[in-house]
Amino acid sequence: MMAVIELTSAELANTGGAIAPRRRRARVAAARVGGGIGVLLPILVLSSFITYSLGALSNSNPAATILGQDAATPAAVAHLNHVLGLDKPLIVQYWDWLSRAVRGNLGTSYFSQIPVSQSIAQRLPVDLSIAILAVILAVILGGTTGTIAAVRRGGWFDRGLTIVCSAVSTLPAFVVGIILVVIFAVTAHLLPANGYMGPAQGIGPWLEHIILPALALALQVAADIARQLRTSLVSVLEQNYITGARVRGLPWRRILVRHALRNAAGPALVILGNDFPIMLAGAVAAEAVFSLPGLGQLLLNAAESRDIPVVQGLLLVVSTFVVVVNLVVNTVLAWLYRSSEGVGT
Amino acid sequence: MSGKSRSAAANKGRGGGSVLRLPTARIAIVILLGVLVLTFFGSSLAPQDPLKINSNALFQGPSAAHLLGTDYLGRDVLSRLMAGTRLSVLTALEAVGIGLVAGAPLGVATVFFGRTFDFMANRVADALMTLPSIFFAVAVTAALGNGLVQAMFPVGILLIPGFFRITRAATLEFARAQYVEAAELLGGSKLHVIRVHVVRKVFPTVAVSTAIAVGAALLSVSFLTFLGIGVQPPAPTWGGVLSSDLNYLNLAPWAPFIPGALIAITVGALNALADAYRDRTGPGMLLPEADPVIKTHSTLSTTEDADARQPAA
Repeated sequence: MMAVIELTSAELANTGGAIAPRRRRARVAAARVGGGIGVLLPILVLSSFITYSLGALSNSNPAATILGQDAATPAAVAHLNHVLGLDKPLIVQYWDWLSRAVRGNLGTSYFSQIPVSQSIAQRLPVDLSIAILAVILAVILGGTTGTIAAVRRGGWFDRGLTIVCSAVSTLPAFVVGIILVVIFAVTAHLLPANGYMGPAQGIGPWLEHIILPALALALQVAADIARQLRTSLVSVLEQNYITGARVRGLPWRRILVRHALRNAAGPALVILGNDFPIMLAGAVAAEAVFSLPGLGQLLLNAAESRDIPVVQGLLLVVSTFVVVVNLVVNTVLAWLYRSSEGVGT
Repeated sequence: MSGKSRSAAANKGRGGGSVLRLPTARIAIVILLGVLVLTFFGSSLAPQDPLKINSNALFQGPSAAHLLGTDYLGRDVLSRLMAGTRLSVLTALEAVGIGLVAGAPLGVATVFFGRTFDFMANRVADALMTLPSIFFAVAVTAALGNGLVQAMFPVGILLIPGFFRITRAATLEFARAQYVEAAELLGGSKLHVIRVHVVRKVFPTVAVSTAIAVGAALLSVSFLTFLGIGVQPPAPTWGGVLSSDLNYLNLAPWAPFIPGALIAITVGALNALADAYRDRTGPGMLLPEADPVIKTHSTLSTTEDADARQPAA
């Protein structure tokens, strides 16, 4: 993240000069995205290598496992190893795997023979719908509570929020999830306690099944956002330009939304970007609590049966996701703060 | 030599001593000492055998015989939690130990040993940070075998970049200080300057992050054990107690609150201690690079400020 920002500020300095402002801005934006990709691509290659070597590190013998005890004669194992490409040097195996992965082929499961990309694609919507709903809930919850706390600084709401936030940050998502199940499903019988229905079977049932997991995930992020937003909003509200806007008689609501919130939202957005990996881990937790058929369950099953291609594929997809989300958040941030100096230095 | 030890004592007096004056810190320390006692003596202090099944006392609420009730096999929940403390705490410390020992010295080193090294270390840290730790931990158990010690190893590896970044940021802050420059000009060797003038200043920041990291690692451990990773079923763990409660919510909806509260209180105590220590010793923000700088200085004087506030109130 630092790297992206460092790089872009260097480029900002380089591209100044005679070009027309609008074109210059477009060029800077392109350089920013390009630079981001330029830095993140090697990172992805490195992390995918770490991921891939995991499989090689394991002293499991996939050929023997696949063949089963009876058929695993040394000759058969050697033949299967050759077919699977496991007899080549690690770096060659990695290169083969990566070049296939870039084209969308993550290999096939050792056991079910289902293509890894297919089983990931099947389960991704579950986690995505939970994560996206969780982001929306976190922004709404954290945004409103943080704003109210900052505006009514020192009031009972502000103090209460501080306490609630520190309590929530000690509770992992899976404990929050269990508490939500106890409250909404077991005690109040309002929502289903587990299971999943795709949006194809109706928006209502779909929302019913994902709202609790999403809420369990959202609470922690919402607490982070609320805390961060409160801190930065308090300091922004003390600025001269806010006082100036008040003196000029601008409506309070307009001052808050257009002038204060826009400038205070940056750190909270960074939090949202940073928390995304935590959210993915949380999605695994939510799947376990609410028994949803998502990526986490796929990973757990694959880990248990030592289905290395599935594990490698999943890690690659998930870390790519994290990197892309970071890039998007950075770009959005840079765009939001394009005119202010001092950002990211 | 004597001067050095005197300044160390002074440092200790300012940091360690005054933290204890805060009530939250005292409560936190008492809780953590309790957890530590349970870590070492939990299974021998447990009032009953954590594995003993009693089919006449399933799903009992708290009572004199079972202070925290019984689970789905009639086993004493209090005893199970006490006996489960050791594995949870020790593996959390394992992860933090790996992160701290590898990350913090690297963070100091990159500042002093050249830009190429710094650049490389930062890129590796970037790469490690893209790996989500729970996914990675589960994946490693696929490779190295199903055990909590194995599972927490990658969690520790993924704590390295965090420690590295925080230490590096704190070191950068002090490495450019004039007294460091002065010490270098006086002919102090690099190692001497680092040891005497930098490490001591960086220590509070690292201590605060360590406390927070232990809390986070405890959450990871309890989550992994909740998923059933690394433990054979009858052995008790904090997360394991939670996950078995989950299957019987209709019969005992109160049950998950007990291990949940235990985890939350322990992590909360660690966070509170970190906060108290940070308040007292005042190291900078934990993750400076996460926050874009916003201009925070109001140029109004206090009276002007009060005047400006008047119309809105």
